[in-house]
Amino acid sequence: MARYLIVRLGQALVIVVLVTIITFVILHLLPGGAARATLGKEATLEQLAAFDHEMGYDRPWIQQYVMYVQRLLHGDLGYSFQLNQSVTEAIGQRLPKTMVLSLLSTLLAIVVAIPLGVVQATRRNRWPDYTITSLSLLAYATPIFFLGLMMIILFSQVWPILPPEAPQGFTLGEVLADPAGLVLPTVTLAVVTVAVYSRYVRSSMVDNLNENYVRTARSKGLSERRVVVQHTLRNGLFPVITLLGMYLPALFSGALVVESLFNFPGMGQLFWQAALKRDFPILLGVTLIISVATVLGALLADVLYAAADPRVRLRRSAS
Amino acid sequence: MSAPIDTAPYDGAPGDSGESRPLLQLRHLSTNIALRRGTVHALDDVNLEVRPGETLGIVGESGSGKTMTALSVMGLLPSGGSVVGGQILFEGRDLRSLPPDEVRRIRGVRMGMVFQDPLTSLNPTMRIGTQVAEPLRVHEGVGKAEARARAIEILRRVGMPRADKIVDDYPHQLSGGMRQRVVIAMALICSPRLLIADEPTTALDVTTQRQILELIDDLREEFGMAVILVTHDLGVIAGRADRVAVMYAGRVVETAPTARLFRAPRHRYTEALMESLPESVTGETGAGKRLYSIPGLPPDLSRPLNGCRFAPRCRFATPECRTTEVTLSTGEHRYACLHPVTATTTATAVRTVPAPPSTEAPEAATEAILSVRDLVKDYGATTGGLLRRASGQVSAVAGVSFEVHPGETFGLVGESGCGKSTVGRLVVGLEKPTAGQIVLDGTDIATLNRRERRRTHRQVQLMFQDSYAAMNPRMRVDAILAEPLEIQQVGDTSARRARITELLDQVGLSRRVLERYPHEFSGGQLQRLGLARALALQPRLIVGDEPVSALDVSIQAQVLNLMRDLQRELGLAYVFISHDLSVVDYMSDRIGVMYLGKLVEVGPAHDVVRAARHPYTQALIDAVPSVDPEPAAPRENITIRGELPSALNPPTGCRFRTRCPIAEQICETEPPLAGDRHQVACHFPLRPEPRTAGAPTGGIG
Repeated sequence: MARYLIVRLGQALVIVVLVTIITFVILHLLPGGAARATLGKEATLEQLAAFDHEMGYDRPWIQQYVMYVQRLLHGDLGYSFQLNQSVTEAIGQRLPKTMVLSLLSTLLAIVVAIPLGVVQATRRNRWPDYTITSLSLLAYATPIFFLGLMMIILFSQVWPILPPEAPQGFTLGEVLADPAGLVLPTVTLAVVTVAVYSRYVRSSMVDNLNENYVRTARSKGLSERRVVVQHTLRNGLFPVITLLGMYLPALFSGALVVESLFNFPGMGQLFWQAALKRDFPILLGVTLIISVATVLGALLADVLYAAADPRVRLRRSAS
Repeated sequence: MSAPIDTAPYDGAPGDSGESRPLLQLRHLSTNIALRRGTVHALDDVNLEVRPGETLGIVGESGSGKTMTALSVMGLLPSGGSVVGGQILFEGRDLRSLPPDEVRRIRGVRMGMVFQDPLTSLNPTMRIGTQVAEPLRVHEGVGKAEARARAIEILRRVGMPRADKIVDDYPHQLSGGMRQRVVIAMALICSPRLLIADEPTTALDVTTQRQILELIDDLREEFGMAVILVTHDLGVIAGRADRVAVMYAGRVVETAPTARLFRAPRHRYTEALMESLPESVTGETGAGKRLYSIPGLPPDLSRPLNGCRFAPRCRFATPECRTTEVTLSTGEHRYACLHPVTATTTATAVRTVPAPPSTEAPEAATEAILSVRDLVKDYGATTGGLLRRASGQVSAVAGVSFEVHPGETFGLVGESGCGKSTVGRLVVGLEKPTAGQIVLDGTDIATLNRRERRRTHRQVQLMFQDSYAAMNPRMRVDAILAEPLEIQQVGDTSARRARITELLDQVGLSRRVLERYPHEFSGGQLQRLGLARALALQPRLIVGDEPVSALDVSIQAQVLNLMRDLQRELGLAYVFISHDLSVVDYMSDRIGVMYLGKLVEVGPAHDVVRAARHPYTQALIDAVPSVDPEPAAPRENITIRGELPSALNPPTGCRFRTRCPIAEQICETEPPLAGDRHQVACHFPLRPEPRTAGAPTGGIG
């Protein structure tokens, strides 16, 4: 297991280095260079040269890359002249909020989706299955902004029990102090995820329930509940691990539509506004973070898989 | 469905006679399986009984209902399946009328079941001990520590080495045979009264099969339980069962004490089934005879059926057979047949197909069509994901030499992992040998360039075990058969068309099949198609890799006969690869026996099978269950110990020495394949080579 982990970490590291190289190259491919992008159209050639010299952009590329990596290692993702703050700071303010929202909705989605998928699989092609399938297709097909709007109309206008806006607190603590405000955005985000996850759980459970080992378990005279919970569920949830790994980047990138709808200043909004204003340091910083999250997500999924499935674990450690 | 339920004779009711009460009684059992396209009447009025301590064999072909019978008793019918009529009396109580929880408990504690495929019948993510002990924990409320101890104990009793270690292992760490022991242990942990074994050894090699069957036998005595042994293999039944029930198309057609059934079958289906076995004609006198093959296919059980269900395929059927419902007769030997076999009408007397004049003994003088010399194939074994390292060589084929002459069948037999299929793939050029020569019709194919090699492919074609998997499911039959001709640019469109219809005639398929897709065919028809495709380019050699292993006995006979007919007509040579010794014996002129990448014995089929010289060959022969319930001659009984060693680091010297009962020091050096016509690679051959008059033939020397 330890060996396997080290190998996988090494692979992840290689990919992260590749990501930094690609980000670095993009930074230098900007039309007119970073100086023009930062100083704008009005800047004179002298100003551009001075900026390039100040930032070290006139040095050889290799040297520049080393400097870039050094800065990254110190947590310096660059400086946004548009926001007039460092990229690290800008992301640092928004990332925790985004993660709170994403984590809560993911947890909610899992807690709801797994039982739904299991119920569907054990009552396949009967009315509970058909009902849940129809509902999840409906949820999946509904545009999220429409869903969010309906939520707001229903739960803060027609039946005003929840605020229409996400918590506006500046710090994480202030956000958490207003849990009611988190309910609508969390649920809105979760609905689509539930639809997707429950489909995965259903098909995986259906496959597993048709396996011979389930028949063996039944031959021991076990109750149906025990057959499903003790024997099938664990094997049926493996695909969810992969899904979770793939979901990790979304945890960092945030959900633009929901954040806009509920006016929640998270990563999605940050990225969107940076794109509108051509704020390249922010764009690249966020891109880098999401790329790293993607690599970590895949790594996490593999490690969880190995922990959950002895076939993977033991084969890897034996070799 | 006009079973005369009320009048059906039944003489096994409880308290009927002084005989001990049956443990399990099936009365008029009917099971349906609801599918989208209709309802399959899988079982129709099945009557059976199992007495305490006896082994009942249920034998039949696929679709006969033998497995459905077992699953109905265990309540494990597939989705859509349900018992729709009759009674399942276990220890006098009808399982169909008891509350579900009670039935579950009975099935968990009083019955146990062993399944066909040990590789998939264990939960891959649960420790073996946990799985084995689960019935104890659930039904008897035994504590964790005691359950573990009892799991270890029962694993020891099923012959599991290092049982105290294995309880903490996961299934994938064990071989197929060991996993089947685990399943048996699990079935036995609550000391059941009845063990149902559904094809328990079909997925295993013969030597492992023998170990498992003997284990079940021993345990039956030890536990004093009854066994239902469900199998398609008459040989397995013959050696193990006290009584046999033969099923056909959802009904029991004959039931009798084993010896009586095999000596004097009464039902015409049973008789035909036995005649379809390759063993039935490979006796001293019968070699080379055609097999009797039952024409047609079993009936579609989703349609209403009248009369005897075997009548459409029966040689002796009269119009009466198709209209009259026949019920089982009474007595010890029961059968449902209007024209049963009698002493004067045995099939041998009425066999209509005369044995074709044997074009025996291909001329030794002719030049070999295929000559394989010192063939070696190693596969690099690697470990690690991204950072692969070579960790050794898997020695799949290690210095194999043999020759095949025109018109001859060379049989290659061995257990899984012996390298026989790799030899086949090397011969047809699907893989490149690591070393050694493959000389095809006088040309070493290694010396050819790509274009020449492509042309030589016309000479050699391959026939697969699973023809369905070997055909593109989205191609129609005409396209499938035309493809080899197109690739080799043979003829124009109309010439190809003509060739295709000719091929269909040769393999006995109607021309109407041209517009159909592979999924529309039955297993036997698919093998015919596979053969037709292999024949398209008029090859001189066909390599058949387990071509009949997936087929039922009666269908297998059809395909084997077809292969032999075509061989005679077209002068084909076959390399016939199979794990089934009796099929290889029936088909082959000469046989090569492989073990762990090496040919250990080569010789005329008759001699190899009846006077084996290598201990491994003998062990293989002894392990094959014979349909003769009382073997006349005492067998040498060479029993192999243990399991096949890994080909990653094969034993030095004789590769069989680690399992050989007569191995000595000298076996650490490699024995050469020595001999004249009947060669053996062994330091202590069981027999000297029989002195044959005349010049050495066929051998490689």
